[in-house]
Amino acid sequence: MRNLLHNMNPSVKFIAVTISMLTIAFFFNPWTPLLFWVSILLLQLTMSHINWKLWLLFMLPFSIGAFGYLWTTVVFGADTGGTIIWSFAGINVTDEQWAHALSLSFRVMAFSSLSLMFAFTTDPVKFILSLMQQLKLSPKLAYGVMVGYQFLPVMKDEFTQIQQAQRLRGAVVEKHSWQRILSMRRVLIPMLAGAVRKAERSAFAMEARGFTGEPRNAYYRPILLSRMDFLMSFVFLTILLTSCLGGIWLS
Amino acid sequence: MPKEILSLNNLSFRFPEDQTATLQDISFAVSKGEKLVISGPSGCGKSTLLYLLNRLYPDNCDGSVDGEVLLFGKPATDYAPGEINHRIATVFQDPDSQFCMPTVEDELAFTLENLQIPFDKMEARITAVLELTGLTHLRHTIIQSLSGGTKQRVATACTFIMEPEVLLLDEPLSHLDPYTAKQFVEWLTELQLKTQLTIVAVEHRLDSWGTFFEREIQLGENGCLVKDHLFSPKQPILFPERKSVLLPQTALQVENLSVTIKNKQLLTPLSFAVHRGEIVVVAGPNGSGKSTLVKSLCDIYKPTTGTIQSDGTGYVPQSPEYLFLTQTVQKEVAYSGSSNPTEIASLMTRLRLETIRDDHPFAISHGQKRRVAIAAMLADKRPVLLMDEPTSGQDTAALLELFELIDQRSKEGTTFLIVTHDMEFAASLADSVLLVKDGELTGKFDAKDVWHNEDLLASHHLLAPKGVARFAESFA
Repeated sequence: MRNLLHNMNPSVKFIAVTISMLTIAFFFNPWTPLLFWVSILLLQLTMSHINWKLWLLFMLPFSIGAFGYLWTTVVFGADTGGTIIWSFAGINVTDEQWAHALSLSFRVMAFSSLSLMFAFTTDPVKFILSLMQQLKLSPKLAYGVMVGYQFLPVMKDEFTQIQQAQRLRGAVVEKHSWQRILSMRRVLIPMLAGAVRKAERSAFAMEARGFTGEPRNAYYRPILLSRMDFLMSFVFLTILLTSCLGGIWLS
Repeated sequence: MPKEILSLNNLSFRFPEDQTATLQDISFAVSKGEKLVISGPSGCGKSTLLYLLNRLYPDNCDGSVDGEVLLFGKPATDYAPGEINHRIATVFQDPDSQFCMPTVEDELAFTLENLQIPFDKMEARITAVLELTGLTHLRHTIIQSLSGGTKQRVATACTFIMEPEVLLLDEPLSHLDPYTAKQFVEWLTELQLKTQLTIVAVEHRLDSWGTFFEREIQLGENGCLVKDHLFSPKQPILFPERKSVLLPQTALQVENLSVTIKNKQLLTPLSFAVHRGEIVVVAGPNGSGKSTLVKSLCDIYKPTTGTIQSDGTGYVPQSPEYLFLTQTVQKEVAYSGSSNPTEIASLMTRLRLETIRDDHPFAISHGQKRRVAIAAMLADKRPVLLMDEPTSGQDTAALLELFELIDQRSKEGTTFLIVTHDMEFAASLADSVLLVKDGELTGKFDAKDVWHNEDLLASHHLLAPKGVARFAESFA
């Protein structure tokens, strides 16, 4: 049970997530995103084993963003009419404004937790393999991404090494963050120079092993579609429909 | 007469951006089962020649080919892309950029998928090749977590799984330390005996190969074939003898230095002192803390305990370009502003940087980059220089140049701490040796006491320098 989300075919999950996002985007009442958000959380609670601490950490910026939406819409939102439900310090909050504000912030929460659910329960390598096998992504692109993915830790090491070396030269650490971003250029140039060389070598190595970018006949790790995937897509659709209908009915 | 499988007839090759041809009028043939090495100085076109044999060139560089390349009796141009690659397989030099999948098993499977092998045959071939290469225990290991030597073995296994007829090796040892390189050659010798594969290698470090090859083709500076003869085992590079120029003053005094990062003790407390003009080699197994030691000496890592007293320590990383911050060599040397223009001018002359003063530091040769880095460190008043693996991937000429450079600087009173695995290089330069193991300093030894102590060397994964007798004489 707790492996269901992890074992789901990544492409099917990806399509389910995309459809849900697009659909929810068309509902402007506060209930639909709220219902959807709560159901996704429940889904994640029952069908996955993720690191909740890390999840909370990732949700933090989104929650702040959601609160920001709530606040700005309530305080600065255009007057749209409707009855005033409460007022303070000269600010009148109408029920319509309140509904908009809630709708916006719940939407942020729903979208972010949906994306995080996908990210936390999907193995990136499996995702790319599945995109190639089910959705016919070109192997050239797919393996290109894969090589990039293998390079990430190496690039990270290189980044710290260059930074350390340059600090030794007395490259000043800028005070303001925008200056710091500009001075990143100095680290990035040596890094990119190295990356271009590495990329060429990798391309040669792949070609020397017979990689031509043609679609392949057989896979060593076939990513299969199973009955469970249909069942899970059905679960996603049910959640989506319930929150849409529930939202209409409640508002 | 054994069957010829590869043959080149009057082959010339020119890159589209070059005026002159990289390879000129080359003819030779390779017979089945032969073990051939192509040697020559850096940049003589030996890798290019290899890429013409596995059809990576001319398709990938739009170069122009004159003459004929026959692969198994058929012109190379008649093969479809990818068709020849499973018959002529290649192992490249950089262990870090040959893989595109996370685990060993996936990487092998990637190769099989490229060859359109049906699913039910894959499992058997993967098991068989792992068995053959003795890598079965690494089947599910993440490739990026392996050491350089093991990565090269995995890359070789990936070529063997294609059941090739010819194996091309493009300087497969250049990123390995001599100890690992020796093990790799022994392993490959055994594999070749089992499979009777034809091997064509490109290599400049021939001394590590012992008697592996049967025939040697030498290319000259201008890309011409100079010699085609029987291979004879090569002596390591003979470095000139140098006189040690130790001065009585202490340049670096380390007391009780230890480094703990994220609750992990990387260095246990250690103490030593280095004189001015002294050349110290820091050696030990991979991951023993050599780099940590060097980085804490030049203040990249903050020491957890202990003190470091010195006149100023500078650091030259393996890739000197990591240090560069400006657009010209001149500005690079003057960057810190701690030397006056006369001092800088004198440094530029002594390090032969005058002619390239207006060039971009990224656009010069590797040896020049290193000289710029050293000049910049000296201009920054850092007379103790720490060099991290300066010998890795260097050919004979580059090593001799490096030797000369370090010898000259030390005569001027510069102190060197050099991390290297190359014991011939170390033996020719070092006044003393710091042996490090598992984050502990075994001790600071007089160089002449180390080279004969086989047990001490072996316990630190080092090979005694070849021609140790010569050193014995010179110290006697």
